[in-house]
Amino acid sequence: MAFELSLFSGALVEKQAVNEVMKCNDLTVKFGFVLTEAQALALVETRSFALKENGRIEFGGGVIDKIIKEFCNSPYLSRHNYEETLHELLETFYYYKNETLDLMGDDDLIKYMKNAFNGICQGSLELLSGRELYKLARNLRYGYAPDYADHAIQLDAEEEDEYGRY
Amino acid sequence: MADIDKICRIKRETLSSEYYFKSLLEQAYMWGMLSDAQLEKIQFDCLSLLAKQTERYNSGGSSSIRVEGAQSLLTSIMFTVGVWLKTYPNPDEAVAAIQKESMYALYQAGHKRIDGLIKSTKILHSSIIGNLLQTENVFYRSTIVDGIKGFFKLYYPEFAAQEIHITADYPVHHPMERLVGIEFIQKYLECIYYENLFCAQFSAEDVHHLLCGYDEDYEELLVNIYEPVLSAAIGCILSGRDVHRLEMAPSSIQILNDLFRGKRRTEIEGILREAVSQLSGLLKLTEPLKRYLRVSLPQIAAVIENAVLLQTLDRVFILPKYPENNRQLIFSFGEKMKDEKYRKVLEEIRQCRYLTDKKALIKGGIHSLVDLEDILLDAELREEEILSIFRELNPAEIAALVKKHPMPSALDQYELRESQIVLGQCLQKFLAALPAKRRDLIKQAAAMLDCIEI
Repeated sequence: MAFELSLFSGALVEKQAVNEVMKCNDLTVKFGFVLTEAQALALVETRSFALKENGRIEFGGGVIDKIIKEFCNSPYLSRHNYEETLHELLETFYYYKNETLDLMGDDDLIKYMKNAFNGICQGSLELLSGRELYKLARNLRYGYAPDYADHAIQLDAEEEDEYGRY
Repeated sequence: MADIDKICRIKRETLSSEYYFKSLLEQAYMWGMLSDAQLEKIQFDCLSLLAKQTERYNSGGSSSIRVEGAQSLLTSIMFTVGVWLKTYPNPDEAVAAIQKESMYALYQAGHKRIDGLIKSTKILHSSIIGNLLQTENVFYRSTIVDGIKGFFKLYYPEFAAQEIHITADYPVHHPMERLVGIEFIQKYLECIYYENLFCAQFSAEDVHHLLCGYDEDYEELLVNIYEPVLSAAIGCILSGRDVHRLEMAPSSIQILNDLFRGKRRTEIEGILREAVSQLSGLLKLTEPLKRYLRVSLPQIAAVIENAVLLQTLDRVFILPKYPENNRQLIFSFGEKMKDEKYRKVLEEIRQCRYLTDKKALIKGGIHSLVDLEDILLDAELREEEILSIFRELNPAEIAALVKKHPMPSALDQYELRESQIVLGQCLQKFLAALPAKRRDLIKQAAAMLDCIEI
């Protein structure tokens, strides 16, 4: 009989998480977004994959419902890209959870992602992940405020030559 | 028919001290005391507890955690539950408690028990610090005082109850159970307490001399103090010597050799037990201390059995040694000449072509051994030149150089200059070429010598 952590990442957790995701439909329905059980399960699977990829473990619905609740009123989301964007956001979230060394709480990170996504990135997930969150993680690792040192990043970029070498 | 015990399905010996809760579940499942459904419920309860602890660990700010962190939290939870389950008289009752109580209640009870253990262990530690043995052994003090203080500073039972944080360098005599966290530290300090109590029956000076008999440099050895003291006390009893002084004579070893020769381990243990009973009459020993001594005997009996076979009983029953009575020779290397003058002489020697000229310059310009040593190191002399200079020196001077430049080990060589290595090698070569009697004399003198630079 094994009594390891792996026991907890099985069907038991998934069932609990799917239920919590489905509950979010009550809120998102007024924005025209409804997830089917299969879609909820797919999101939970993406979460499991992202957690495994990033060497993390999570309990309950975790952040899926938080991300849904925060992003459901975004002007850049539509029925066509709703589910796909949620998958991308989930993967990005867990990746940057590690990159920011857990220095930022879930709510703060999601709020930062939402502001950047709706604001400067204008709905671009590439810009969100590759530029804004990269800057955030770098600032936190170096002990700066999350929105600090735009010029420092630019300076670093200038040090690279045209071939991207330093 | 003095003690009637209830028949238990799970034997305590089959359970791990370190992972008690996990091994108890395994055994209970194996014996059919827990069904699949019950086991699943326990796992689910642990999951809820882990989720709660993770939330506390992250201060409510994050619902996910790195796998290593979660594993450590889970181990801590299971250890805490295990600490409580160990308080039940037998494993079967512990399994009944798992079935009856919620996991959270067991965890809370375990947490309270750990808090209690921390308090009692801190009291035990203070009492040990108040009655430390007066010994020069560096590991004794650094582990028992500084190490344990470090443990209490770092120990965080809320999230890492299973951590030990320190390495208990100083060894205790009883083999330690595989314990972790506060349980390990408590058991370790209990052993130290009893060992101190026994060693405190003898004067610090006598214990020091006894340990000098073990090794004159015992201060820097990772050696248990209690074992040689107990062996010597038993040896004194068995050979009719004064146990209070721990002073056996070489004849005592012969007596002990005759006593133990051809005996089996159980017989040796019987003799030792009898000696400990006599010891109890002569020293002020409390009942728990007597128990501790008796538990030590099988280990000592095994050592004696081997020592009798290998004719090394004198390494078990140690004779005291008094290093302060050793003859000491003091040798001065003399005073260094002024740097400017030294540079001039060195330059002249370096420029000489012939050894005879070099030797003449040394004889004329160098008047102390410390300067000669510098010349040997700095003048880039060849091996045969160095050996030739050694031939001009008297045995006392050679002994002083041997003392200062012993043959370096392969490891030490990394820290030495090349010329220092060459000088050490030349000295060894020179000694090897001497007649055996003269060589031994120089080596003995070198061992006794205390060099003084100025």
